[in-house]
Amino acid sequence: MNWKKAVSVMLIGVMTMTLGACGGTSDAGSGNADAGSSAGSGADAGAAGTETAASGEKLVVWTLADDLVDFGDRYQEQTGVEVETVVIAPEDYPTKVQTALLGGEKEPDIIVGEPQMLEDFYDAGFFANLDDFGAKDYEGQIVDYVWEVGQDSEGIQRAISYQITPAGIYYRRDIAKDVFGTDDPDEIGKLFADYGTILKTAQTLKDKGYRIFSSDAEMQYFSGDSAWVVDGTLNVSQSRYDYMDLCIALYQDDLTAYANQWSTPWYQAMAGTVPILTEEVQSYADDSVDVWADEAAFAEATAGMETTEVFAFGLPSWGVLTMRDHVGDTSGLWGVCAGPAYGFGGGTYIGISSYSERQEQAWDFVKFCTLNEDTANWWIEYSEGDTVSLISALEAHKDDANEVYGGEKLYAFWMDQAKGIDYSKVTRYDKAIGDAWGNAISAVKTGQSTKEEAIATFYDTVESTYAGEITVNRE
Amino acid sequence: MAKTATAARTSKIERYNRMGYVFVAPFVVVFLIFNVYPVLRTLYLSFTNVKLVGTKGSIVWFDNYVRVLTDKFFWNALLNTVKIWGVNIVLQLGLAFLLMMVFSDVKYKMRGLHIFRIVYYLPNLIAATSVAFLFATLLDWRYGTFNQIIYNIYHLFGKSYTPVNWIGDPATAGVTVAVIQSWMWFGNSFIMLMAGVQGISRDYFEAAAIDGAGRWTVFGKITLPLIRPILLYVAITSLIGGLQMFDLPFLMINKTNSAYNSVQTVVMYLYKFGFETGTTQTGYASAVAYVIFLIILTVSVVQLKVFNRKED
Repeated sequence: MNWKKAVSVMLIGVMTMTLGACGGTSDAGSGNADAGSSAGSGADAGAAGTETAASGEKLVVWTLADDLVDFGDRYQEQTGVEVETVVIAPEDYPTKVQTALLGGEKEPDIIVGEPQMLEDFYDAGFFANLDDFGAKDYEGQIVDYVWEVGQDSEGIQRAISYQITPAGIYYRRDIAKDVFGTDDPDEIGKLFADYGTILKTAQTLKDKGYRIFSSDAEMQYFSGDSAWVVDGTLNVSQSRYDYMDLCIALYQDDLTAYANQWSTPWYQAMAGTVPILTEEVQSYADDSVDVWADEAAFAEATAGMETTEVFAFGLPSWGVLTMRDHVGDTSGLWGVCAGPAYGFGGGTYIGISSYSERQEQAWDFVKFCTLNEDTANWWIEYSEGDTVSLISALEAHKDDANEVYGGEKLYAFWMDQAKGIDYSKVTRYDKAIGDAWGNAISAVKTGQSTKEEAIATFYDTVESTYAGEITVNRE
Repeated sequence: MAKTATAARTSKIERYNRMGYVFVAPFVVVFLIFNVYPVLRTLYLSFTNVKLVGTKGSIVWFDNYVRVLTDKFFWNALLNTVKIWGVNIVLQLGLAFLLMMVFSDVKYKMRGLHIFRIVYYLPNLIAATSVAFLFATLLDWRYGTFNQIIYNIYHLFGKSYTPVNWIGDPATAGVTVAVIQSWMWFGNSFIMLMAGVQGISRDYFEAAAIDGAGRWTVFGKITLPLIRPILLYVAITSLIGGLQMFDLPFLMINKTNSAYNSVQTVVMYLYKFGFETGTTQTGYASAVAYVIFLIILTVSVVQLKVFNRKED
């Protein structure tokens, strides 16, 4: 019988070890196993990770922007500290960070967030207090609104971004001269002064055979000039209704090229002539699948259609990088001017995980990415035009002429636009309420609901989503 | 002496039996940690207003449950789920039944059952993400293959055709998802039903044939009553799976799409409050989870009773 007991104990032991090993793998590899893609020198992130951790010569970065891979590589080159950068898709990022940090994981050391995620992260205590490391000493070196976004409700600095993201209108100078007789950014800005004027501008362009926008959502970054929630009450300002009317009119009056943002024809419109996807093939708001990826198929499918050239795109400052990659032969023919309101979109805010055991090293990395002028200058050059948040670097580059934009001094422009951004209008509710509003606009413009029905559904949605948290006064 | 020997043997058997506890211990430990604890923790959370797990909240008792039961979007989501499941189960079981009848009919003598079985089951092996992408592409309303085929057929007869936005129109999105679900699952039901039919003794069929029973009589009087347990199993598992429907509608229909409200299922509703940025309300999501659980439990019990009564 003894051998039976021995075999039983052995089997149970093996089973326990298997289960233990499963748990162990999950713990040690949580940074790698579930996350999207890993970069940097984290190839052997298993046992080696623990070893280097003890010596403080390794940092694990979880990010949703590829930029930090480059920052990590540069930091590693300059300091010799191993940086393992894990890029996670934005939609998965909050869940992954929550799961790891609520489980008390010591890694990642560096976490990031986009503005709409930050308040929840602050409340959950995920970000360490940067003031403990002397962040206050750097106040005034970063553009105001970025510094403010990185503070929690008590004014404690939790994160800093290396970039500013004010929005602007990117327009074709050649079309501007042809239709309006001028390509001066100040004059063109007047054509986008308000939604009513934009519709008139759109009609003028259409009469000349152009289309004002590729999609009808180009003004979204400017539509947030009032807060969605004020003192716990839903606030649907007149400008929100005006924005809805604008989208509906642009769509129903055939004033755009009917592409969807981020779809292939939308990008193609940056480079020149595109088909107007009207009548049988005009698009809906939703375009989760890009069926346009095959250019040959696209050309074949749209052969014989009416074509046009698109006048403008509404994008934040990081749109410079998008345009850089897609303008093709129209390089040099672009300009940037102000939109109907100040706006901004996105931005990656870097902070230190409260659970990190290498917080001093992590602070050094945060400073390297955000407060180091050499890094800022390198990033401006390396990214070919991204807009940093370090004021000294922006000042140093404010006279830089960008040849894609006919020599326009974009850094000076973005600095001006950033001054107008009022971060107090941003709330944690913006994403969900914005989606519900987008849903209402989509329903009205495609004729699936009347405006009254769609707005009533919008109110219902907000009331249901934030019951007891947001008061909804129906108008 | 005999008593002592018996006592020793009993003690040995008891010790031997006690080894059983050691064998089941790993499972029980894992089950307690990964099943029982989360279930109890979720129950506790459902009585709180915790927004994000790990953050502070207070006990609100049944407020979350009242909110779930009075929220029209929850009931709308439940209705959507039932509608999609309803269309899905009719098509799924209907097709599986049809195929089962064809393959089990001795007169047809269909060959290659094992090959057909594999082919029909294949859609079930494809990841839902791939299926969602595949159909979103095929059903794209501008250049989707499906619309192009219909367009060409119309064109052939000299008629014009306006492409249908299968997954972007509230009128068609739910049915579209249901049809895709049926395509994914009919092979599974077919295999179950065939297993049930093959378990029936051939003597019954032969006896019925000798007595001159027709195809429909055999089906109605022999096949159907004898595969009732399998049918019950398929129906209950399909219902439980159907009420937990999430992946396909979630992946295929964007939140800003006006069709979203017509395909939002109860689990998508739960996901919104459990995980989505800006709307995470863990306490409320836990209550939603329990309400869904209770609904599934109730419907399953009712279904079981109805089937059992018929069997009696």
